[in-house]
Amino acid sequence: MHYLLFFITLFFPFFVVAAEVDEAWLALGHYQNGESSIDSPNFFLSEDGKTNPLAELQATIELFEGNDTTKQCVFPARYLYLQKRGLVQKAFPKCEEYDQFKADLQPKDVTLLFTDAYMNNPSSMFGHTLLRIDTKRKGTQMLAHGANYGAFTGEEAGAAYAIKGLFGLYFGGFTVKPYYDIINTYNNIENRDIWELTLNFSQEELDFMVAHLWEIGQTQSRYYFFSRNCSYMLLEMIDAVRPELKLAQKFKTWVIPLDSFKAVARKKGLVKEINYRPSRQNKIKHRYKMMTDEQREIYRQAIKAKDYHLSDELSMAQKADVWETAYQFVQYQWVAKKLELKDYRKQSFEVLRARSGFKDKGSIAELSDGKNPIQAHESKRLVAGGGERNGEVFEKIELRPAYQSLTDNDYGLIKGAQINFLNQEWRHYAERNKLVMHKFDVLSIRSISPIDVMFRPTSFQLDLNVERWQNPSDEREHYVGNFMVGGGGAFDLGENVRFFALVNNRLGYGGGIAHNSYGALGVDLGALWSWHSWRVLFEIEPQIATQKNFSQIKYNGEINYIIAKDWSIALSGEFVDTKGKNAQEYSLGLRYYF
Amino acid sequence: MKKIYLLSAVAAGVLALSSNANAYDSTGCGLGSMAWRGQSGIIPQVLAVTTNGTFGTQTFGITTGTSGCDPNGRVSGGTGRMLLAFLENNMEQFAYDAAQGNGETIKTVAGILNVDENTLAVKIQDNFGVLFASNDVDAVDLTLSIMQLA
Repeated sequence: MHYLLFFITLFFPFFVVAAEVDEAWLALGHYQNGESSIDSPNFFLSEDGKTNPLAELQATIELFEGNDTTKQCVFPARYLYLQKRGLVQKAFPKCEEYDQFKADLQPKDVTLLFTDAYMNNPSSMFGHTLLRIDTKRKGTQMLAHGANYGAFTGEEAGAAYAIKGLFGLYFGGFTVKPYYDIINTYNNIENRDIWELTLNFSQEELDFMVAHLWEIGQTQSRYYFFSRNCSYMLLEMIDAVRPELKLAQKFKTWVIPLDSFKAVARKKGLVKEINYRPSRQNKIKHRYKMMTDEQREIYRQAIKAKDYHLSDELSMAQKADVWETAYQFVQYQWVAKKLELKDYRKQSFEVLRARSGFKDKGSIAELSDGKNPIQAHESKRLVAGGGERNGEVFEKIELRPAYQSLTDNDYGLIKGAQINFLNQEWRHYAERNKLVMHKFDVLSIRSISPIDVMFRPTSFQLDLNVERWQNPSDEREHYVGNFMVGGGGAFDLGENVRFFALVNNRLGYGGGIAHNSYGALGVDLGALWSWHSWRVLFEIEPQIATQKNFSQIKYNGEINYIIAKDWSIALSGEFVDTKGKNAQEYSLGLRYYF
Repeated sequence: MKKIYLLSAVAAGVLALSSNANAYDSTGCGLGSMAWRGQSGIIPQVLAVTTNGTFGTQTFGITTGTSGCDPNGRVSGGTGRMLLAFLENNMEQFAYDAAQGNGETIKTVAGILNVDENTLAVKIQDNFGVLFASNDVDAVDLTLSIMQLA
């Protein structure tokens, strides 16, 4: 009995110390509200470790008191955690694979990368974030490593992919690749800009991040497109290194990659450097823009004729510019599958052999500065205002959780791209004292991308919404559910004006018409004008439909004046020319982005 | 003697890398590209599927995923292997920089070879026609010529 008491008094204080679960431990175990985000059972040493951080801490202390070095080698960050708090006596074992990992990475810094939106892939429309472990190796950061958190998806596409992604039926995990591979994927193949935000980590924090990446790299977790996605996991990773940041906590319901990037950028003392790495397409466009008229003319002829013997009207430096740009364009065409391999190689080397004969640099400097997405407006939008519809005055409130519409400020975002997600508009008609939901956009995507001398992108749009509509025959308002897809092209006139033409297919349900459904074909002609703080959109869409009530010409316009990054004021108007009673409305709204 | 050693070192690298060539996909090569080989049960199993065993080295034409599908997926190994892996994935950018006599890939190659980048840049531009003697040059030839040049 005495002995027992002796043991209790001797060891109890030790366990009390050990049993203290602090902020750092919770962050290291990825605990959020008492449960770990990590789903692999192998991440937990205690049976109820996923929900019991204390038990997990005790089990971790036990692990490092024991001799199971294989298992110890899986948890180097936990060891560092215990070591810092004096909770471990033994040395960390020799771990061949982990040592090799560190030897390959030769870590120097941690950088958060943001790749901008890629409109051609639904899962990339909001951009993407990943980590880079910068390297001490001689040379450049091309030899660093990207650590990407992503879903391990199968071959399935479309609906199955979306449903699985939404409901956590995929698992996510980390993959590590050399940074040059990441550059190729994003800059050179998908033509997306990369922004590099280097974090201000101490040596200790850097070591901890690498150790923790090793731990997490061996786990998988359920992947949810909107909430537990690529960006969310990176926030938890950064929190694990600096728990007081609590970055992940702010993103409980959904994480938009750019929002997470901004959150990191805005944390005081967390970032030491930002760097821009333009996409191949942007580099080409920049070079073309910087050329003299003469260079441009000769360049156009050369790429058209695929003959790179350039006229001597140009100086050698000017020729070098043309060859360099032409080479990048040939690479672009190859990636876009517009060239045969043989022809591609022939052209590539013709250009380069000519270029290699000239020793000096070309006259055009590489693109080095872009529009920083951190300066883009916030992604949620609230609109308050009022207007008149068919002679009736109303007040309105609109709420849009994400992300960007054609007339919103496009600074730091893609011009001509729109993603309105779950946007809803409520109206109160004063005279009748009636509150109605006027419109609900489940999703509205537009990609209005200009065709030019070199690039021929397809413009497209997709709409899924429910909207109040005035039936021209009985003049009553009804709800219509609409689904629309359209495709076409756009071109720029100068720097400020973009014209587009799209053919739209519509299917709808409701509207107080016979059989409640309609199909329609429309031609959407529009212009988008951007000038300083002004964004003006005007569209005309004549459409023929299976129901005569939907055969109509719709005119709509929007003028948005940008007051500040997160404030603007917009005037919108719509006129629907139908076979019966026409419908018209205009409204004024103050837009606030938050 | 040195040359034979180099050749065999590079050849070993080729074997290691080329057996894992795979098609590009945006998530890399799935689990096969994970750095944590052998630690978790599923991975060795998946590796067997992702490695399609194609033999042959990378020729000119941008691809990604060659390294991503390496079971290690990392910058690793000695000078020869590292240079080969780098050139396999960056031959187009390297050719571009070589023709201009400067650029990020030349700096990187100079770093891998531990030589002065400016000297190397000049040598590479001067020898552009030797390095890229044929349009069908492959990464092994290119690696060997650069190692001889440097």
